[in-house]
Amino acid sequence: MSVVVEYIAKGSFVHRLNPLTKLFWSVTLMTLSFFFRDPRMLAGLFFSIVAVAYMAGILKEMWPAFKGLLIVAGLFILFQIFFIADGKTILVLIPGIQIGHVKGIGRITDQGLWGCLAMGARMMVIAASFPVLMGTTKIKDLVVVLVEKLKIPYTYAFMFVTSLRFIPTLMQEMDQIMQAQCSRGHRLDEQNFFKKFLSLCPLAIPLIVTSVKKAERLAISMETRGFGIGARTYLYRNDFRPIDIMVNIALTFILATGLFLNLKGIIG
Amino acid sequence: MISVNNLSFKYPSGVEVLNDISFTIPKGAFVALIGQNGAGKTTLLKQFNSLLRPTTGRVLIAGIDTSSATTGKLAQKVGFLFQNPDHQIFMANVEREIGFGPKNLGLSKTEVRQRVARAAAAVGLTPYLTENPLFLSKGQRQRVAFASVLAMKPEILVLDEPTTGQDYQEGLEIMEMVKELNEQGHTIVFVTHDMELVARYAKRVIVLSQGRILLDDSCHNVFYQPAILRETNLFPPQIAKLIQKFAKQPFEFGKPLSVDEAYQEFLKYTESEPDVCCS
Amino acid sequence: MKPVITIEKLSFSYPGYSDVATNALQDISLQVAAGEFVGITGPAGAGKSTLVLCMNGIIPHFQEGDFQGKVLINNRDTFETTCAELSLQIGSVFQDPEAQIVAPTVEEELAFGLENMAIAPAEIERRISEALELIGIAHLRLRSTDELSGGQKQRVSIAAVIALRPQILILDEPTSELDPIGTMEVFEVLKKLNQEQHLTIVVVEQKVNILMEYVGRLLILKNGALVADKSPREIVNQPNLLESIGLSAPPVSQLADRLKTAGLYTQELPLTVDEAYDGLTKSFAFAKIERV
Repeated sequence: MSVVVEYIAKGSFVHRLNPLTKLFWSVTLMTLSFFFRDPRMLAGLFFSIVAVAYMAGILKEMWPAFKGLLIVAGLFILFQIFFIADGKTILVLIPGIQIGHVKGIGRITDQGLWGCLAMGARMMVIAASFPVLMGTTKIKDLVVVLVEKLKIPYTYAFMFVTSLRFIPTLMQEMDQIMQAQCSRGHRLDEQNFFKKFLSLCPLAIPLIVTSVKKAERLAISMETRGFGIGARTYLYRNDFRPIDIMVNIALTFILATGLFLNLKGIIG
Repeated sequence: MISVNNLSFKYPSGVEVLNDISFTIPKGAFVALIGQNGAGKTTLLKQFNSLLRPTTGRVLIAGIDTSSATTGKLAQKVGFLFQNPDHQIFMANVEREIGFGPKNLGLSKTEVRQRVARAAAAVGLTPYLTENPLFLSKGQRQRVAFASVLAMKPEILVLDEPTTGQDYQEGLEIMEMVKELNEQGHTIVFVTHDMELVARYAKRVIVLSQGRILLDDSCHNVFYQPAILRETNLFPPQIAKLIQKFAKQPFEFGKPLSVDEAYQEFLKYTESEPDVCCS
Repeated sequence: MKPVITIEKLSFSYPGYSDVATNALQDISLQVAAGEFVGITGPAGAGKSTLVLCMNGIIPHFQEGDFQGKVLINNRDTFETTCAELSLQIGSVFQDPEAQIVAPTVEEELAFGLENMAIAPAEIERRISEALELIGIAHLRLRSTDELSGGQKQRVSIAAVIALRPQILILDEPTSELDPIGTMEVFEVLKKLNQEQHLTIVVVEQKVNILMEYVGRLLILKNGALVADKSPREIVNQPNLLESIGLSAPPVSQLADRLKTAGLYTQELPLTVDEAYDGLTKSFAFAKIERV
């Protein structure tokens, strides 16, 4: 989980870009991915994200996330591919058996293959830019941009950021709860699905109770430091630098060109 | 009862926390495990019920090798009282909460009911059996946790910081119950950083520093070795600190730990040097 | 000189407890002067935490209940003043080191309160440096908050609160989750703030031994009522007082008291090990022999 949202400190130019620029980059990618249908173009977009991660010097840390995405996309393709019947049949898994008027079980058609690969690649493009964004942007900078430029109310941005800060804390609590319950003979290796679900109760309830208590105490601590009384200032501001302007112009150009060529049927 | 042989333990991240530890705790012992933060005390305690297993070496609990026994199996022998009762409370009433452990042991309904009744009575929670444990006070919740451990009837009782975060009086009440159990033959191992508590209850003290045993001796001997204790950032209890200041005096002050013992020493001193007193 | 904290006939009961025989707080009246170092102690359920919440405005603004009487912080009535305004007068630090820290780094944690108060960025920077220096944790500025020890976390919370420059600091069992080293770190910081910055400190603790060593005045609560308001010296001379509320005097004080009753100890009852040593050497004329 944390590999998706943790800031990885390196001094690359990607890190130095204004969060707004990086958000625009993410939006550009997502927009293009919705219009492109060719899995090769979409794969190209994905590799451009990998290239950006490399430029930012965080490719090694991003690799587990990318790998995970590849697996999810692969599974998705696997589950969908047998349900698209249009087009020419390329492959049949179990030929010979006929069900109704359908010959063979597990038919893969050319359109099915093409379409599913495109869907899988699109999913990867949409999901892959987020960890790269979070890995190169300090959360506090992101919050400032969200609140000041995108006019999201501070309270929501704050809730998001603070929840992230508590993830390690709650994971430690969960560890301690598991140890306490196992020491009372509680078993976590149930095979039966229903029993497995029930075996989570002795873990979930203490975690929820502890979390609620912590939340209440945190709220009191925040109130005694003036939280939420009105407009606030920020210690760090992010300026728009020449490099940001250049990158944004480049992105706008890429987005406009991509959409134009796509609508004209030339690419995508 | 507990036999630790050349135990070393490393976390998966590579951090070595315990380094070649060996000791034996016989049945009926009352042992305190002390050391600064990060010395490995809690890590060592968790070896006793397989929550953690040795990287090298062996731990035997009542003859059972922990590396081949599950925590669930060892739960019958080792009762573990954790610092925060809220990490385990989840049932709607105290009776079911205390019964959770015995139920996990596979005991009959009658047996579970009997054990719950007895454990609740031992900690004074009988009037609260139908209450929701979440609505009890902190001290009462700690007693629910304690009863939950007692209901498993373990021969060995392991306590991790039993009085930290507690009201002074309630902390003492728990320790008095533990003392009673020790008098009935249970083996007790507890971790604390309250040296007054150690002086008051422990018969034997093991001092851990950076994963190794620095001292393993009686209470009195351990607290009168200030140089070694300082090495591990521990302070002896007040009385010991005070008497150690008289170390250069010709009179042999012995090794008192309680107010009583210290008082007796001063009486002895006045008897031996009757002309010295009351300037 | 006007007192910084004035409490007049304060009574409070939590909702749903109005029919209970005793309130959480019963008819409490007291005053604290500027620059005092006050300790509050008492058994569990005595009302210590409730009293703290009444002083920083959480009661009545965020906690409902039956509130009678008046609490004035620097002459401001807590009933009429918002928590945020009060936080500029009285800063609060609580028991759970985890549940006070809001930010991922120490610097952001200190900035939090200052940003909330819409203080200019340059001033925020100044105050953060100042607070970190005062508490002696300037080296922790860029550290991640979840890597800190308990004692460090509490000192960060203290720094975050004093960055708002309140004149009063109130702490509710700040060391209960800490080990002896962490406890000492916190109390040494409090001592420094009190002596060098002349902050008024009110600290609630169960650890009577450490309160005796640091505070100038000890308030004892039991069942919601104020049962004693004395200096540590006076309390140590009345051993029954602490016993009656289920607390005990420091062991060295108890020892000296017993020796005094036997006619062997002639000095003032000690509060600390050092005082006990001095007193004993004088009573027993150990001075003849070289001191350790």
